[in-house]
Amino acid sequence: MIDKIRSVSRELLENGDVSYVIGYEMGTRGGTRPAIISDAQDVEKLVWNRECYANLTTFLHDYKKPSRRGEDLPRVAVMVKPCDSRTINVLLAERQIKRENVHIIGLTCGGMMAEGKLREECLRCNIRTPIVYDTLIGDPPDVDVVDDMQDVSELEAMTAEERLQFWLSELDRCIRCYACRDACPGCYCTVCEFDRDDSLWIGMQNELPEKHFFHTFRAMHLAGRCVDCNECERVCPMEIPLSLLNRKLAKEVRELYGFEGGMNTELTPFITVLADGEVSLI
Amino acid sequence: MRHISHSQLLSLLDLVAKSQTLIAPKDMGKGHLHLRPVEDSSEIVFEYTRTDLSAKEMVLPHTERIMRFENRSGEITITDLFINKDQVVFGLRPCDAHGIASLDSLFIRQDPVDRHYSKRRDSTTLVGISCPQMWDSCFCTSVGGSPTERKHLDVLLTENEDGYFVDCVTERGEMLFKNIELEEVEQTRMSNVTLNDSVPVPEDNLWPTVFDHPYWQQVGARCLSCKLCTFVCPTCRCFDLRDEPVTSNAETVVHERIRTWDACTSPNYRTIAGGHNSRPQKGQRIRNRFYCKFHYYPVDYGAEGCVGCGRCIDVCPVNIDIVEVLHNVDTLLRQPATEVKEETR
Repeated sequence: MIDKIRSVSRELLENGDVSYVIGYEMGTRGGTRPAIISDAQDVEKLVWNRECYANLTTFLHDYKKPSRRGEDLPRVAVMVKPCDSRTINVLLAERQIKRENVHIIGLTCGGMMAEGKLREECLRCNIRTPIVYDTLIGDPPDVDVVDDMQDVSELEAMTAEERLQFWLSELDRCIRCYACRDACPGCYCTVCEFDRDDSLWIGMQNELPEKHFFHTFRAMHLAGRCVDCNECERVCPMEIPLSLLNRKLAKEVRELYGFEGGMNTELTPFITVLADGEVSLI
Repeated sequence: MRHISHSQLLSLLDLVAKSQTLIAPKDMGKGHLHLRPVEDSSEIVFEYTRTDLSAKEMVLPHTERIMRFENRSGEITITDLFINKDQVVFGLRPCDAHGIASLDSLFIRQDPVDRHYSKRRDSTTLVGISCPQMWDSCFCTSVGGSPTERKHLDVLLTENEDGYFVDCVTERGEMLFKNIELEEVEQTRMSNVTLNDSVPVPEDNLWPTVFDHPYWQQVGARCLSCKLCTFVCPTCRCFDLRDEPVTSNAETVVHERIRTWDACTSPNYRTIAGGHNSRPQKGQRIRNRFYCKFHYYPVDYGAEGCVGCGRCIDVCPVNIDIVEVLHNVDTLLRQPATEVKEETR
């Protein structure tokens, strides 16, 4: 697959089809890291292995404006795994990116590994081919996993008080570094509520009520939009089980509205569309 | 050299916890250790590499309530909210103490002295534990530290089979042991820690020559602009100050002035009144972080801006590795005319 990834990337850059290719390169201490390449000579740096965790679509937000005023928007190629491809659909539906400005290099995926085992989010995922792509690389591997939602059920089985205590003890570790928000492709507000100078909703103290509010607020904003790429939990230095919160809300949305973020080929954002008859247009 | 047994140390810590605030490594779940107040020695974790956050938060807390302004039907009162208690910080590593010494250069050794920092510093005793080894990301020896460095601590403990060697560095440290009979042992220094390869750290006055190099845009391209590296850093000290509303109704308006950590890596750090942001690009911000460590801070305050603890390396979600950056800057400085790549942002 890597030869194909490199040749496709080289071609896109050499032909001037794209200005940047967003892919993976080897990190300094094992594992991979995001690589943003603008020179065709650098495609040799690109790698593809079972440790390509990062959801690279988050970097598309860096190319939503031209680098200099008056210039055209850059065209960007991005490598996506099946889960990441769902965020492309979310971003398209929310009019964050223009389809014609993104070349999607879809990579089939049998799950990412950590310490010799499939990663937790991959043990829940049965999508082997990206939902949306321009170039597809690789054959879908045959991996079957079953998501029994056990941890969500356990959460639901708690009493409200137990659940609150569970979350407060987990969230107490939060340092409000915002890595979860900044890694999340779905968190792209120009001015985040938590960065506002006027503290309209939340103070800047790093105390439990603020941590609690931050995470609840963020989870609510991702309901129906989260694709369970699990970047938030991966980047969290304190291992707060953020995906549990996100998947609980995803489940609610699925059961109540039959909607799954980024799965629909018909691009509709979850929150801002009202069904027929719910609003009368003048 | 004096020696304290494990059981003696535990009773000493129990005693300390009764008279002062005892801060020590505490398990916050999933093995994450934070320096937190403990009731007694049973809450303390003794086996660890280093705590998730440095001991910086003991002298410069993430959140600090400064004062309260109250307007009750026209009657205005201002209350000082600063609370200070004697505290013993137990179990920090020598690099953490080095970090606090670096902070002193700005907050105490230069006018104006930061009142809160200075008072808190005066009532803090630092009891460090030597590192039994240098871990993968450690490079303290390249920035003036060492796994057994004593000079920034009040007490340095070094573990052996049946307890710790006790090295009281300051009088304040000595005070802790004044009521306890310690065994005198033969051994003098006990360090046989294998050191990591040294990292080239370019001289502070050389950095300006590569300020405009496109390298910084390349590093910045994958930065997520989170605050993680600065929050875990023992020497990052930028703070924000705000007046936050507490109560607001017809009769009573109450605000509190809060100081919290800030981070130069976050997008709005440099945004000023009117909305202008003088560091709008990620490359500019990540460059600032490294220049602050290795040029601005050493030049302005004469202290190390990095103590080589390696925390930022371990936590960065996109592997922006300060050791790699130092190697690359060193290379750039040796070959000033290296290839200039197209600017990425």
